[in-house]
Amino acid sequence: MPQAAVRSANRIDRLFHALGDGTRRSIVETLRRKPHSVSHLAGSLGISLTAVGQHLQILEASKLVLTKKSGRVRECRLNAAGFQTLEDWARAHRTMWEERLDQLGKLLDEE
Amino acid sequence: MSEPSVLHNTFVIERSYPHAPQKVFAAFADPAKKRRWFAEGHSHDVDEFTMDFRVGGKEHSAYTFKEGTPFPGVPLVTESTFLDIMPDERIVQAGNMAIGGKRISATMVTIELQPADAGTKLVCTHQGAFFEGSGGPEMREQGWRKLLDQLEANLAT
Repeated sequence: MPQAAVRSANRIDRLFHALGDGTRRSIVETLRRKPHSVSHLAGSLGISLTAVGQHLQILEASKLVLTKKSGRVRECRLNAAGFQTLEDWARAHRTMWEERLDQLGKLLDEE
Repeated sequence: MSEPSVLHNTFVIERSYPHAPQKVFAAFADPAKKRRWFAEGHSHDVDEFTMDFRVGGKEHSAYTFKEGTPFPGVPLVTESTFLDIMPDERIVQAGNMAIGGKRISATMVTIELQPADAGTKLVCTHQGAFFEGSGGPEMREQGWRKLLDQLEANLAT
């Protein structure tokens, strides 16, 4: 499988883990509309603050959600950059060039 | 934490080829040869590739991403200009890239060809500025939707 496709697959695997849970998908859908506090999320999902915290940790680790503490309130929002960051674009350019230079080697050998 | 609007990134890739610098250079200078190793790829179809290989000349490519990539059916277009050409030694080229109609990067690529015992050492120095197109968040939204669709499809099987 070409490198670029493998990298895409790995990224999707990480996101599958984060999104493979129904509660986490509900959190993401809720945050798509607008940011919410952790306590609001717990209330609307009917689960404890601790449980929400655990889910948010996983979502933050896969860069899907950002949280920020303002005073005593922790606010959560969707990380619009979570799917494709600028670093991903830079990496993708490098991957493209690695593959091109490999293909150049093969072409030169065939000539 | 907010994302910076421009990311500057430089990477260097080196390769050794058991072929003379003149032969390696020819693979860059001849549009038919360059298309085969530079434009053709597993993850996309090549719709257009043209190159006017001289200082001030332009190179244009248009691709469409295939299924299995994060952006199936999405177009990728690059435009670049040759800034410096020293036959068999050096090529400097700068341009930009747009995905789905939004510019996402501007880059300068320097290719150096150095004679080596086994043939040629090639050094590719890629300096890039990566940024959001005016529709950046929209495109990520599109990518996000596609990802959720893929997830749904996978969970259903």
